[in-house]
This record gives sequence, C-alpha cells and structure tokens, in this order.
Amino acid sequence: MSTVQDFTGYQPTWCPGCGDWGIGIAIKSALVQLGLSPSSLFVAFGIGCSGNMNDFLNAYAMHGLHGRSIPNAIGMKLANHKMTVLAVVGDGDCYGEGGNHFLHACRGNHDITVIVHDNRVYGLTTGQSAPTAQKGYKSKSTPLGIIEESVDPLSLALTQGATFVAQAFAGDTIHLGQMIKQAIEHKGFSLVNILQPCLTFNKINTYQYYMKHVYKLDDTHDKTNMLTAVNKARGVYEEKYALGVLYQVEKTAFHEQIVQLDSTTSLKDRDKFTDYNQLLPYFK
Amino acid sequence: MKTFVWKIGGEAGFGIMTTGLAFSKIVSRLGYQMFDYIEYPSLIRGGHNAYEVVVSDDRVGSSPGSIDFLVCLNKQTFELHKDQLSDNAFIIYDKDEFIPETKSTLIHVPFKKILFSLKGQQIMKNTIALGASLALLGTDLKIFNELISQQFRRKGEDVIKFNEQFAEKGYAYIIEHYKENIQQVLLPLNSESQLVMTGNEAFSLGAVIADCRMYVAYPMTPSSSVLTTLAAWQKTSRMVVRHAEDEISVINTALGGSFAGVRSAVGTSGGGFALMVESVSYAGIAEIPLVIFISQRPGPATGMPTWTEQGDLLFTVFAGHGEFPKIVLAPGDMEEMVGLTTEAFNLADIYQIPVIIMSDMYLSESHSNIKESFVTDLIKNYQVNRGKTITQTNTTPYLRYSDSSDGISPRLIPGVAGSFYQANSYEHFEDGHTTESAEERIKQVDKRARKIRTYFNNDFKTPMIYGNFNEAEVVFVSWGSNKGVILDVQKKLRSRVKTAYIHFTHVYPLKKEAVIPLLNQDKRYVLIENNAEGQFGKLLQMGLGISFSETILRYDGRAVSQQEIINKVNLK
Ligand SMILES: Cc1ncc(C[n+]2csc(CCOP(=O)(O)OP(=O)(O)O)c2C)c(N)n1
Ligand code: SF4
Ligand SMILES: [Mg+2]
Repeated sequence: MSTVQDFTGYQPTWCPGCGDWGIGIAIKSALVQLGLSPSSLFVAFGIGCSGNMNDFLNAYAMHGLHGRSIPNAIGMKLANHKMTVLAVVGDGDCYGEGGNHFLHACRGNHDITVIVHDNRVYGLTTGQSAPTAQKGYKSKSTPLGIIEESVDPLSLALTQGATFVAQAFAGDTIHLGQMIKQAIEHKGFSLVNILQPCLTFNKINTYQYYMKHVYKLDDTHDKTNMLTAVNKARGVYEEKYALGVLYQVEKTAFHEQIVQLDSTTSLKDRDKFTDYNQLLPYFK
Repeated sequence: MKTFVWKIGGEAGFGIMTTGLAFSKIVSRLGYQMFDYIEYPSLIRGGHNAYEVVVSDDRVGSSPGSIDFLVCLNKQTFELHKDQLSDNAFIIYDKDEFIPETKSTLIHVPFKKILFSLKGQQIMKNTIALGASLALLGTDLKIFNELISQQFRRKGEDVIKFNEQFAEKGYAYIIEHYKENIQQVLLPLNSESQLVMTGNEAFSLGAVIADCRMYVAYPMTPSSSVLTTLAAWQKTSRMVVRHAEDEISVINTALGGSFAGVRSAVGTSGGGFALMVESVSYAGIAEIPLVIFISQRPGPATGMPTWTEQGDLLFTVFAGHGEFPKIVLAPGDMEEMVGLTTEAFNLADIYQIPVIIMSDMYLSESHSNIKESFVTDLIKNYQVNRGKTITQTNTTPYLRYSDSSDGISPRLIPGVAGSFYQANSYEHFEDGHTTESAEERIKQVDKRARKIRTYFNNDFKTPMIYGNFNEAEVVFVSWGSNKGVILDVQKKLRSRVKTAYIHFTHVYPLKKEAVIPLLNQDKRYVLIENNAEGQFGKLLQMGLGISFSETILRYDGRAVSQQEIINKVNLK
C-alpha cells in the first residue's frame, strides 16, 4: 500500500493559505485511498501556480506547456491505458489557453480526470483576470472591470459530452478528496472544478465568500439528468455554487472504442507489426 | 532509353486522379519505371485536373516538359496543354465535344455516345479513355480489369462487369478504327516486382516499418494523405491514428504518447507546423523523441495549397524558441523517403529530440515506383534502435536528465514500479525537478547541445554525389525533392557536359568538416532550389561561409523543370 508520503515531493512554494494546499492534500489522499502509487500514475501538469504541483506530487509526469496538458494526458492514456491519468491544471490553462482541447476531450470521453484549480485569476502571472472571473471583476489586465461574462465550465463540460462533472471547494478537503476519488474511479472523461481562493490576488472570491455561497447537492439530486445538472451549473451566474457530483453517466471511453487496442495489452507493450503481406498489395 | 509522357485532363471531381493512378500501376506492373505528377486547383469541383505519367525503361524522376499522348476529356485540357505537345503527339478526344486544331495525330473516341449507349455516368468517360489509351499504346486490358475488380470487389460481380464494358468499348474502338496508329510502346518488360507510391505513402510505409505506433494529425494539404493512408491501414497495422482538434493538440498528444513509451509522429504543412512550434521547443527541453513530417506548399499563410515549394526550410530549421538541438532530413525520392523515415525514428529515440522530415507537394503527391525487394529488404534488415531508452533502472533516485559526455541520458519508459520522474518544460535538475540555478542551467544547456557533436560523429550523412565529381565541369547543389529532375537532366547533358550533383538529405545541422571540401573546389557550382530566397544557400552561408554566384530558384508553385536547368548550363 502506498502512503501520502510516497506521493510527496518537494515542499510547495504556494503562498500561505492558498487553496492549492488543500487541493494538493486532497489529491494525495484520494490516490492513497485508491491504492495507486507514483509508478502507476500519469499526471499532466499545466503551467500556473496550479501546475507548479509538478514538483510537489510524485508521479510519471509531464510538466508541459500552458494550456496543453489535456492532449498530453490523452496521448499518455492511448499509449498505456493501464495507467491512471490526471491533468492538474488552472482555469486560465484549461478554459482559456487550452479551451479548445477541453471541449474536444469532453466529446471524446477520454478516460482522464481533469482537476481544475478555479481561482478566477491568473495566479502565476500575478493576478490578471481568468476566463472564470465574474463580469466586472477588476484586475491589472482589466482595470475597468472585465467585459465578458464568465465561462460556465460545468455547463460547457456537460453539454459537450463529459460523463462525470463535479464541483468542489478547496476549503473542504474531505469532500474535495471524495470528489477526486470518484472522478478517478469513473471510466471516461471526468471533471472536478475546484473553487480555489487565491489569497494574494483575488480579494473577492475568498474562503469567506465561498463559505457564504456554496451548497452541497443532496441525495435528491438526480445525477443522470443533464438538464437538472445544467441548471445547477448555471447557478454560477447567481453566485450559487453547487458542490458535489452534478452529473455522471456510463459510456464507453475513447480508448475502449479503438479497435486496435485490446483490453489486456497496452499499445506500448503489444508486439511489433510484421504482417506486411497485408500491406504491400496496396501499392501494386 | 525510351521515354514517353501520357497525360489525361478534365474537369475536377470526375475521377481523373483514380484513372491516372490506374495508368501508373498498369505501366509499373508491365515492368516500366514511372513518375507521375498531378495538377489540381484548390477546389473540389469545377476546376481543371491534369494527371501526367512519365513512362520509361530507365529511372525517371521528373517530367521532360513535353506530352506524347494527351487524353482530353474536355476542350480545356487541349487548350491548356497544346503548347507542350511533342512533334509526334497523339490526341485522344471526342469530336462531339470539340475538334482540336493541331498538327498532332487525332484519335477520335466517341466518349459521349458510348456513355449514352451503356447508360454510364460522367466519371466512366475516364474508363473509356483509359481503355482506348491502352489499345493505342499496344497493350491489353488484363491489368486494368484486375484493378477494376480490386476497386469494386465489395460491390459485387455486376458492378465489376458494368465498369469493365466501358474499358472494353474504348479499347475496341481503337482496334477497329485506328489499327495503323497503334504504338508498340508498352510491351511487357522482364523486371522484378515494383511498388507504386507517393511520397506521403512512402512516409506512411516507413513509419509502419519503424514501428511507429501513434500518428496524430489535422488535415492540411499536401500532408493529408499520410493521415488518410495510415487511418486506412490502422486495423491491419494496429497503429493508433488520431485526427485531433487542432495542430497544437496533435503534437501534444504525440508527445504524450512518446513520453509514455511508444514511437509517435505527427504530420502537417507549414501553417499547421507554425501552430506546433511552441511544443517543438517543449520536446527539445524535455528531451521527448518525436518525428514530425512536414509537406511544404507555397506560403505565406494559406498561399497556394495544392502547389509546390521548398519555402519552409529556414522556418523549420529554426522552429522553436530557445536553444535546443533538432535534426532535419529531406528525402529526394521514394526510396529515400521510406529509408530516411525509418532512420528518423531511430534518430529521435537515440538523441531524444524532434526529428523533422521535409517533403513538399511535388514529392508528397507524385507517384513513382520502387522495387518491391528494396522494401522487403528494408523490412528484413531494419533494426529498431531506441538508443538509451531503458525499461528498468536500479539508480535511486532515477536521474532522467543525468549529465553525460555524449549529451544523452538514459530514458526510462514510464510505468516501472518503484520509479517516477517528470518530463519538465521548465529548466530542471538532473532528476527533472524545476530549477533556476545558474550552474544547473549551464549543465543542462551544454548537455543538450552535446548531442549534436555525437550526431556528427555517429549519424550525420555526407551528401551523396551523383556523377564524377572530380571530372565535373558543372556541379549542381540541391536538397530534397529536386533530386528527380537533376538526375534526369544529368542524363540528358551526359554527351555534352560533365556534371555532378551534390544531393543533401541531412540538411540540418550540417557537419562543417564533411561538407566544406565538397563546396570549396574550383568548379562551376549551381544552387538549385524550389523557393525564392535560396534558403539552403543561406544556411550554407551562415553555417559554412559558402556562397553561390549561380542559382536556379523557382517559386511559381511549380517544380524546377528540366529545361530551365539545361538552359542555365548552356548559358556559358
Ligand atoms: C503560451 C504561454 N502564454 C502565456 C504564459 C504565461 N503564463 C504562465 S501561467 C499563466 C496563467 C496562469 O493562470 P492559471 O492557468 O489560471 O493558473 P494559476 O496560476 O491561476 O493556478 C500564464 C498566462 C505561458 N507560460 N505560456
Ligand atoms: S498567487 Fe494565488 S494561486 Fe498562486 S500560490 Fe499565491 S495564493 Fe495561490
Ligand atoms: Mg487560475
């Protein structure tokens, strides 16, 4: 059995009190509970304070480019689908720079878990507004208030085909850990959008703010009803943030539909192709 | 040497490509060598398509510029190509559509009437025309019928029979009305089995031979047929072929696959490659092997999508921010495309860097034939060489970027129990963790740069020289797809001028000591490139201090022609 210590890399450099600390702890505890080890895990980290977890979490990891972690994760999964694959990304990373990859990964139902640190700012580049910033939010890049409406990432995922969509709050690491664990256990594309206070740059969406505006979905919530889920997701525009699994359905994952991949051997481990008698007649 | 050119033209969207390829396969199966070239506008319907096949009993790699047999499925074909007709040319046409005004021998075939009588569709005009062509060239319909059976196998015997009658009618019409015009130019030759392929198919085949297991792309002319070919083969080859949402996803998916341990490649043209460039730099610092196939077309921007150019060499060579090694290879024909592709996958694994194969529309979409034994020998002899890739390690902690004298560190395939590491796009310590230390930075920059020295020592290939260099009065210098035309010109000039051709395939980086002695002799050098700025010349100037006073630079979207090289040589 692995322990939290096994997953623990360098001492994090996040600001004291940053929501990322809670996310780091919740991810590790979910991994331990699932019996995974750093050697059975692929993680694609984005670039941001969020992505900086690369040095703090042990795994076979790609710390790639800003916005491009999802395709990295997809490539790793296709090459070796025996491994669990996470993408640990920021809101700017995933919904801005890499927004196109995000929506197509939902459609593809790739069996990866995308963990988004939604702090509504660009932390690492010192506080400009992120795609999830509330309309009117003032930041260094939008001193007069951001003109665009915020992205509603949960609805986006829901309507583009994600088969597991959850939201959690970095201030409640126990619940957050459960969400991450369920997301990893889910076969297919899973999203955990995490409301994450950035103490340094976001003075609006603080722990206190979220404490006032979040609520947990209860047993009456029908996880298989897309429209109900979208309704809950849209609460973001009324500052009502649902926590929990908004939506979950069973569907065949992307790699399971690739006929040349079999369930027992990964692409990496299969034998080399040799049957050229099948191929060469094509050229005659 | 006997060479002739057969060309068919008609409205785009009516099967010219399929018919042209059938002709190429037929002459190839009869034992001839061939090279074909297609002209088509960036339209699906409504434009003009032309398909030209050069047939010879010796090696050919370009068009001589003249046409011996012109099949006009419409009037426009005649108008567009009449100036290229050779002295004894034949024209196959239908007088119910138009009557060509020309000295050439006219061969009327009633396409329209035959179509009408057999209730055929427009597209079957091609079949009639090919049947008639084969009769005129003195061969039979045996191979053509086999190709028809192959093409319609799944649709059943009736469909096969239905199509065959069009070929039969065209054939019979010639036998009946033009017996005295029949040319005996396609008598079967006794030669070994040959394979007909385009440059893109040659790359695809090379990728399979090299055990590439993941190919990711986004369609972009003229690279798209790599994607469609590999996709068509995927059930057989078991390669994972992914058409991703954009080129940035393309390269990052492939990097994910490569990091996870499978040989991976991507393919695109200049515009798509531009989108990939940041990720090429990631492959550089994280030392992830990757093969990138670029098929050039004239730019800038959307440019001329269905035409040819070598305008992206400098862009490719310098692609990626920051300083890191990469290798650029430029095959000149199908054998080199298959061979260098298999080599590229080894080089990517050995040096843990991006390796780029440069093609262009001319090489990518033209067919020529190569000996089947060349391919089967390659399959037999090719060794997958993954360099310092390892599947176990007993060093703890495992140092992914350990310093080494050859610049290459052992690369552990992820998934091994007890280990883990990251492929970091930030500068890193030997163990992969992020660092901003000046010392560690220098260590890693130097380590990565050292790979090039190792490459020069072990794998750089000095350019091939065709012709007798010592005796040559004129020395052509070029790279990539110009090889075909230059070799053809050398043959034509043989009785008049002694020439040599220095053919570069390993175009970047260039090993100075190996290349300078070839270029600093007291010779008449002529640099030949399919671009406006002489980009390879600039590379030689920059790296080796060599410049050229005589150049042939073509940038009108067409390949360099035999005639313009001959004219240049004759100038002095
Ligand atoms: C292509 C590119 N553009 C811009 C940057 C600069 N950059 C680094 S992180 C970042 C934004 C980070 O914001 P987010 O993804 O929300 O992560 P956070 O720091 O908030 O966790 C930006 C713009 C970059 N590294 N690469
Ligand atoms: S800047 Fe914000 S997001 Fe980044 S570490 Fe500090 S508090 Fe956390
Ligand atoms: Mg952010």
